[in-house]
Amino acid sequence: MIETELHDLSDDADYAASQQQGSQSITRSDSGRRSEPEGAEVVYMKDNVSIHPTQYMSERISGRLKLIKQGDSLFLTWIPYKGQNTNTRLSERGDSDRNNLYTIRPLPLTDVRSIRRHTPPLGWQYIIVVLASGLAFPPLYFYNGGVKEFLTTIKQHVSLVRSADDANVFIVNDFQDPLQKTLSSLELPGVVSVAAQSTNASLVASSSQVNQGRSDVSSYDSNTGSQSLRRQKNKSNDPTKDLSIQVLEKFSLVTKFARETTSQLFGENSGDPFLSNEWKRPSHSQSLPDLQSQPSTNDLEEVPCEVPVPADPMEFEKLALVWGKPRQPPMTKEEWITFLDSEGRVVDSNDLRKRIFYGGVVHELRKEVWPFLLGCYDYNSTYAEREYLRSVRKQDYEIIKLQWQSISPEQAKRFTKFRERKGLIEKDVVRTDRAFSFYDGDDNPNVNVLHDILLTYSFYNFDLGYCQGMSDFLSPLLFVMEDEFEAFWCFAALLERVGPNFNRDQSGMHAQLFALSKLVELSDSPLHNYFKQQDCLNYFFCFRWILIQFKREMRYEETMRLWEVLWTHYPSEHLHLYVCVAILKRYRNKIIGEQMDFDTLLKFINELSGQIDLDSIVRDAEALCICAGETGEACIPPGTPPSLPIENGLVSSQLEDEVL
Amino acid sequence: MPSRRRTLLKVIILGDSGVGKTSLMNQYVNKKFSNQYKATIGADFLTKEVQFDDRLFTLQIWDTAGQERFQSLGVAFYRGADCCVLVYDVNSMKSFDNLNNWREEFLIQASPSDPDNFPFVVIGNKIDVDGGNSRVVPEKKARAWCASKGNIPYFETSAKEGLNVEEAFQCIAKNALKSGEEEEIYLPDTIDVGNGNQQRSTGCEC
Ligand SMILES: Nc1nc2c(ncn2[C@@H]2O[C@H](COP(=O)(O)OP(=O)(O)O)[C@@H](O)[C@H]2O)c(=O)[nH]1
Ligand SMILES: [Mg+2]
Repeated sequence: MIETELHDLSDDADYAASQQQGSQSITRSDSGRRSEPEGAEVVYMKDNVSIHPTQYMSERISGRLKLIKQGDSLFLTWIPYKGQNTNTRLSERGDSDRNNLYTIRPLPLTDVRSIRRHTPPLGWQYIIVVLASGLAFPPLYFYNGGVKEFLTTIKQHVSLVRSADDANVFIVNDFQDPLQKTLSSLELPGVVSVAAQSTNASLVASSSQVNQGRSDVSSYDSNTGSQSLRRQKNKSNDPTKDLSIQVLEKFSLVTKFARETTSQLFGENSGDPFLSNEWKRPSHSQSLPDLQSQPSTNDLEEVPCEVPVPADPMEFEKLALVWGKPRQPPMTKEEWITFLDSEGRVVDSNDLRKRIFYGGVVHELRKEVWPFLLGCYDYNSTYAEREYLRSVRKQDYEIIKLQWQSISPEQAKRFTKFRERKGLIEKDVVRTDRAFSFYDGDDNPNVNVLHDILLTYSFYNFDLGYCQGMSDFLSPLLFVMEDEFEAFWCFAALLERVGPNFNRDQSGMHAQLFALSKLVELSDSPLHNYFKQQDCLNYFFCFRWILIQFKREMRYEETMRLWEVLWTHYPSEHLHLYVCVAILKRYRNKIIGEQMDFDTLLKFINELSGQIDLDSIVRDAEALCICAGETGEACIPPGTPPSLPIENGLVSSQLEDEVL
Repeated sequence: MPSRRRTLLKVIILGDSGVGKTSLMNQYVNKKFSNQYKATIGADFLTKEVQFDDRLFTLQIWDTAGQERFQSLGVAFYRGADCCVLVYDVNSMKSFDNLNNWREEFLIQASPSDPDNFPFVVIGNKIDVDGGNSRVVPEKKARAWCASKGNIPYFETSAKEGLNVEEAFQCIAKNALKSGEEEEIYLPDTIDVGNGNQQRSTGCEC
């Protein structure tokens, strides 16, 4: 679809800047040693070690990597330089906040499980530090070299062994804490090789700006990705079932990444209360108090005042929001115009869909834009063509509507199916969004319009008929489109995609619930195992989410926003399933920690209604989707709703069958 | 091992869409009726503490979507039920005729150990509508059906007005408890639940 762009870092214009910055910081580094506390000795120090918090190689936070020895213990720190310009696009938070988030405060090597070295033939060397808890820091790029020296220094102080499986992985074997030792030996995840790995990497790359010529993943070595973490201690895990670590490393390489978020989204073992706590408490608080208490002014890196890692899970979640791509404000009328040529064609529908994916559209535009997203209008159609289509459709609608309007009471008596269908619709429209002003009050005419459209649809698609949940789909469409016939055609188009949700045999729902279980298995195998153990693998607790695409889970405005985002089919036509995964992952620690059984889980999920933060969940979903890549798509059986809209006359017969 | 049944009583409410299942449950548990309830999607439950002879029980009342298409989901929700409530709308013959289907569907999907003696309770709802003038299912007819199915206790209610709802659920709870006891033979027999099924619609002597 979108072209992968691989670039050698050496033509990165940032390269020069990095060289310069490197020399500057080296000048500063001499006095750095003197700022260490009594009894602590800096045994290794490297300047211009950087992380890339986003997929743009030009976005970089540079800092100083140190190994500090105090007593018998060795600590690792990485502290970003103060006040550097990270070139962050659409940065939502201050750089100091951001940098602070990535800072590695004194980390005892006993907390480290392994260090993976990447020495790609092109680009920079980097390492990934994987913690005993299974979490990993973002890759640390050594712009001034020195990976070998770094490893050698560690080896002088703690036991460091090269992994038998992967020569680039060095395992730190110096467990002092017996508990940790146990945990790490029990909970090591298996790691699997992903067939589509290089494709995944390219997918990730393609998600970056198309015009971002410098986006670079060439330093990602897809061959080392798979095996390196496998250890002899690992016996209990089926390697095909756990991608988390690997996925996590891939993630840490190419997208915005925060340690806190990782523990949320990829929290290996985090069903274990020990480990989730571990993140919340600064790990050095007991072990290295003097380092922590150093006034920051004495520290040449001038780290901004330390924000304590919050223990409150709510705080914790807010921190986790630096993840995925920042959401944008909704698309405005002025922007929309720029997507159209003089005759009203959408020039670049991919660009448009992408724009809408990242921010939705302002409400006033929905009436105009939704029909495109739903496939009612072709992106290539002109104003004139659409005007004509409108008039045809208006007539068509009236004709179908007449079919049931012309049924006399006498005929109805002999037409049980009609009466039942009508009765069902009548009962449901008076139960649809009555608290929302557009539908509230007695004898609200809009309620009657809902009724008429639904009954007309049940004649238009007599086989599918009417099913509960359809009125939920229709309600925002009518609210936005205002005109009855336009709402009808949008509804019909939407049901081309989600109609299988209402199949009599529930096959559409079962397919999606099945795909969801596969995606959870892929991205969070401990959670999957937990559901399995609790006999929850049918995922019926997510039934309502999927049936009406979160309509009952959010406020009205948020539902409209989420829907237009989903309808772009931008990162995936199955993004709604990743939204499910994202929500489940967000609450995974609670679910596992409280040992929820099926009933409790269902209740818990139902009560999340109104509590889901749309933007952050969409970001998580995007991140998960990109991360799962083709492996994720492979979890979703062909024909799983919403089936592809028919495009450019290309009709897959399989999909056609699926739409009833 | 302590038995879950000693404290938790699981009740399933079934019946056609729109007969008032959600409204009944909310009237009983929250003592209110709203015109703004949405059609149930999937399943949900409410719990309520009930007391019998100094012992506290949690009544877990399950409410599911009524449309036939969703019945295949039942198997996940009906499991372990202690009592099943069949609801119809006294103003809709169809909803009454369907009681038999609902009963059979439940027995298939929940597969209780002793289907012949599994406790059901039947509720005819919406007796308030039109002052009773639009009623189409005669009480006699409903009682006859209940009698033919092993003397199922029968109630007529209005979820809207809160009529007879408390009484119906009292009976439901007692039957659920009885059902639980029969399965858990080691549960001390401290509750006298009687066994008459001749009660009037205004009370539960069951
Ligand atoms: N008049 C009247 N209306 C009721 C009564 N119970 C429910 N309703 C209405 O009947 C419709 C369906 O009720 P609901 O509880 O959602 O039915 P369910 O589909 O069986 O859960 C709603 O519009 C309710 O307001 C009742 O006792 N009297
Ligand atoms: Mg209901």
